[in-house]
Amino acid sequence: MQTQSLSQPTLASQLRGLSAVIRKDWKQYWRYPLNAISTMLQPLIWIAPVYFMGQAFSVNGQARGFAQYSGTTDFMSFVLLGTVLENFINAVFWGMGYALKNDMDSGVMESNWLTPIPRLLFLVGHSATNLVVTAITSSGMLLFGGLIFGFNASGDVWKAFLPILPMMLGLYGFGFAFAALVMLLREANTLVDLSSFLVQIFSGSNFPVNALPRFLLPVALALPLTYGLDAVRAYLIGTKTILPLPWELALLIVFMFVMLWLGTGAFKWLERRVRVLGALGQH
Amino acid sequence: METTFSPQSLGRPGLLSELRALFAVVRREWTSFVRYPSWIISLFIWPVIFPMGYILTARALSGVDGSGLTTFRNTTGLNEYVGYIAVGTMIWMWQNIVLWAVGYALRNEQMRGTLESNWLSPTWRFSYLLGSSIPQMVSMFMLMLVSGLEYAFLFGVDFNGSLWLSLLVILASIPSVYGLGFAFASVVITLKEANAFVFLVRGIVMIFCGITYPLAMLPGWMESVAQWLPQTYIIHAMRSAALSAEGFSGIAFDLKMILLFGVFWFALGYALFNMMERRARQTGAIGQY
Repeated sequence: MQTQSLSQPTLASQLRGLSAVIRKDWKQYWRYPLNAISTMLQPLIWIAPVYFMGQAFSVNGQARGFAQYSGTTDFMSFVLLGTVLENFINAVFWGMGYALKNDMDSGVMESNWLTPIPRLLFLVGHSATNLVVTAITSSGMLLFGGLIFGFNASGDVWKAFLPILPMMLGLYGFGFAFAALVMLLREANTLVDLSSFLVQIFSGSNFPVNALPRFLLPVALALPLTYGLDAVRAYLIGTKTILPLPWELALLIVFMFVMLWLGTGAFKWLERRVRVLGALGQH
Repeated sequence: METTFSPQSLGRPGLLSELRALFAVVRREWTSFVRYPSWIISLFIWPVIFPMGYILTARALSGVDGSGLTTFRNTTGLNEYVGYIAVGTMIWMWQNIVLWAVGYALRNEQMRGTLESNWLSPTWRFSYLLGSSIPQMVSMFMLMLVSGLEYAFLFGVDFNGSLWLSLLVILASIPSVYGLGFAFASVVITLKEANAFVFLVRGIVMIFCGITYPLAMLPGWMESVAQWLPQTYIIHAMRSAALSAEGFSGIAFDLKMILLFGVFWFALGYALFNMMERRARQTGAIGQY
């Protein structure tokens, strides 16, 4: 008699596994509609003080001082676009970072790990839902924000996807490594909170980074997200860029490949480390 | 010989026993607080980086030649924005931390499964909430002290005001800030999933109370709402006490309003606590999560 494994991993079975992870995350997210509404409205609450502060520096809604740094007097469109990217940064840090930790906490991590599908596929599944959900909530936020504060994007929306695509893929590549790190550290709230806040400040989500004091500027220029945000704004609202646009795009493409490679590599290494330590089921 | 034995409860509630229970809660909360070293990061780093986002945005709005700053001066009558933003954001951080820490004190017990057994002990139940607040107040005093020093040395904020008046404002604000925390904690026992409510309450403070801008920038209806929030007066009084040399007369009205709101919020917090506690026992929901 020939023994045969009940599970025969094929491309189709892996896709079914992936679809199960996506479906589970999707269902779980929309099960709590108040959280979804809160995700949409929270960023608007955070930028309300920025809006009123901007009014104090503007004449007839034109922030002329701001234009000297950014190339646009439309302060709020600048901030709203930054807030959309901020949503994705938060989603990667909190959503992706805690994706596996949540599985650990709910006690399903070990059993999931025993299934015959590549472990990275769990993260790909979590990322796909996270990306779609963040895109939906960000669109809602942009819609509400536009109605409340005003949003004028006169540029080419399709061209704006040129920097958005490599930036998002690179960001989620970083999310792979970060998720594995949180899985190893387990209690990482302060780390996540602090690092996401600093990345948001230094990538210039609310202001052009050339307004930073000289000694802080290198930190901003070392973050690839700074160029992504800069390029998206240049395409949509015609702001001045830090580097010529083709250079910024090239940097983002390099960032994407490096982060995807580093992210998957780090995930595999850290995941193995967690298994060696026997900490997979601990929380 | 016959020995008579009158059964007596092991717990004899008295003032001393209540104080011992309160002290036990305080000690437990303090031990949990210092057990996780991440509080050091919160203490030293958050006071710097939280206002930094707003301060850098204001710097960008000022422009290369400072023309935006001239507009700001003309619009608001203020000479500088750094101290103004730093004080406003510090008060917001205080209320935010109280909402998370005190507001979740009973909910965390519920999650750990210790709320029901604690409730059975012969102590005044409000002391669980009060006991959680005391270490929190100590840590907040530390946070404010560190914030003040960091703002002075790192941001160059010129604290022209009086330290004693600033302390007076902080002390007078305690009933309002913690009363809101108590009310919140009581609501959370019943509503359970309360993240969205923390976001709502702290959002209201963030939008209406002028943490980064003068209230005159708000539309009329928003200004009216702001007048009903104690944090508006706390922020205004703290700015006067710490940054200006106006003296007591500069904070007298705010202080009166803060104390009035304090009585209201503390009484409401206590009343809500009693109401929710009774309701949770009647519905048997005290141990559920």
